[in-house]
Amino acid sequence: MSVPAALDTTIAVVTPENIAFNYQLAGPFRRLPAYLIDVAIRWLIIIVVVVLMLITGSLLDLQFFGPFIGAGALILNFVVSWFYGATLETYFNGRTVGKWATGIRVIDIEGRPITGKRALIRNLLRIADFLPAAPLSSLGAEDAPPAFIIPTAMVCLLSMIFTRRMQRLGDLAAGTMVIVDERSWRLPIAKVDDPRVPALASFIPADYRVSRSMAKTLAIYAERRHYLTPARRREIAKHLTIPLIERFEFRNDIDPDLLMYSLYYKTFLADGSGELPDLGNLADFSPLAKDANKPTQVLAANQPLTPMRAPS
Amino acid sequence: MNVASILDKRRVQWNELESLCDAMESRGRTDRAGGPEHRGAQGIARFSTLYRAACADLALADAYQLPPNTVTYLHQLVARAHNQLYRANQFEPSTWVDVLFYEAPRQIFADSCVRVATILFFGLFTLAMYMGYDEQRFPGFANAVMGETQLENLESMYEQKLNGSLDHYVSMAGFYINHNTGIGLTCFASGILIIPCLFKLAYNAVVLGVAFGYMARPDVTGGDNFFQFVTAHGPFELTAIALSAAAGLRLGVGWFRTGGLNRIDSLRRSAIQAIPVMAAAATMFVLAAFTEGFLSPSPLPFIFKAAWAIMSSGMISFYFVILGFPWPKRSRGSHSPRYESTTIDSDASGQRSLGHVTHAT
Repeated sequence: MSVPAALDTTIAVVTPENIAFNYQLAGPFRRLPAYLIDVAIRWLIIIVVVVLMLITGSLLDLQFFGPFIGAGALILNFVVSWFYGATLETYFNGRTVGKWATGIRVIDIEGRPITGKRALIRNLLRIADFLPAAPLSSLGAEDAPPAFIIPTAMVCLLSMIFTRRMQRLGDLAAGTMVIVDERSWRLPIAKVDDPRVPALASFIPADYRVSRSMAKTLAIYAERRHYLTPARRREIAKHLTIPLIERFEFRNDIDPDLLMYSLYYKTFLADGSGELPDLGNLADFSPLAKDANKPTQVLAANQPLTPMRAPS
Repeated sequence: MNVASILDKRRVQWNELESLCDAMESRGRTDRAGGPEHRGAQGIARFSTLYRAACADLALADAYQLPPNTVTYLHQLVARAHNQLYRANQFEPSTWVDVLFYEAPRQIFADSCVRVATILFFGLFTLAMYMGYDEQRFPGFANAVMGETQLENLESMYEQKLNGSLDHYVSMAGFYINHNTGIGLTCFASGILIIPCLFKLAYNAVVLGVAFGYMARPDVTGGDNFFQFVTAHGPFELTAIALSAAAGLRLGVGWFRTGGLNRIDSLRRSAIQAIPVMAAAATMFVLAAFTEGFLSPSPLPFIFKAAWAIMSSGMISFYFVILGFPWPKRSRGSHSPRYESTTIDSDASGQRSLGHVTHAT
């Protein structure tokens, strides 16, 4: 296949059903907040459990239970700081609390959910990803003890930049990737409630076939036009509509925005049966160049009407 | 029929699939999705039907020239359903025994990284011990490595006879589990970059060796107590450090000893091979921590500690050599014991991905 890969952060996965679907990859700026949340939660777990142990211990006999609580706290610290990520990712389908909060998920590079072994590998190797560590004393705080070090995470960043799936070393070794896991999806197909749009669409020649890239352009245009001012819409649409106006033999003063919208309507929304909607006072209008001497001017560009609103 | 009405028609099914996904995501079952047709086996059948339908819709979306955002939506819907249909197989605690007593020793026995790491660690350890001991021939070596204050601390720590109490033992065992196993895991993780792992291994070997050599000098106080303390847990702990470095090195060697795979696949294979070794090392660290917490600081006579050290060395040898030897016949019916479970695993996934490629083109 000679289709050039898109320059964006999606990755295609082929399922056993022989369907290729795209995942959106999560980059460092999505993953860092998730990690920070996880760090906070890890500390919260440790502190809460230790305080609970201290309270129960002091109610019973602190003298006797004290060392057990100390040992328990150390073992808890060990277990939570090393195995928090692996456990959560295994049992919650590739998500930790931080990942859940930021809407990302770890999956296998083949699109399947992560397994325990892979989760363990990618979480243990985080240490290597955070290298090289810079001592705090080298960053201005001269009197800080050398034990205080900051992980610079350069290894992780470089590895994410240079891999196609934005994987860090742990992901590479485990064969996993982190994807964006959108949970609120809408199904947008713009509704057209301007009578001028079907009116104009009915004049587009029936033998005109919208090409695939044109269909895509139209859909994107229809999605985005709400964010643009009328003048800007015309400016953008003009580049596409000038050849179209010539081809359809329309009048030159047709609103380019309206023409784009009509094409969109014809491509995605119009019924094939050819029945014209009720056009009201637009019924006798024609945009064709040969009818230019007719009096109607409703569709001309100099009238600042938006197709979303019926003309008054 | 226009696109909008096609979408409206299909959308009912997509919404149903979405609600089934919701139910699967929160509970792992389809029962909560609403209708009676979503309970039990029926629900699963319905889910897979809807999923296949959505897959077909996605495949047709291009031909229908659906709007791009609808295609995006379908991509996400299919991905979501796919993730629920092929859920993770989780850690089976019952397989851990198999990993620890079957996979790990064979891996260790066959793995050249274990040999390299062990020779490096114990070689440097012995060398540093000798250089730290022999003040005449290597004057100032111990001082240069550990520093004056560190050596004094070490001496003063072992001035008193070993005589711990229960609370001391318990908290120390917890400390060692946290600290030493953490060092081992760090050593393993940095193995993927090879050099930090070798550095950590060599550093630990030299410092431990110098401490041993220094304390063995006849003019140093507390030498007896020191050896009383370290004898019992020494075999487990030192082996565990070497072993976790070996697991890390196995990981790093995957970068360049690819065995015909591409680098990333080779790395993945060696990571899966390294996990059992690391599991064995972590177990040894925990055993060492309990020994170090409870037996080493106790005032028991030296003979008990020495006996434990000999016993644990014997256990390690048995584990490495007897369990690890690639015996030709096993009831499992495996043909090549070496790396068997791991290579089969990676081969299988390799074939699967290959299959994908051929289907896709």
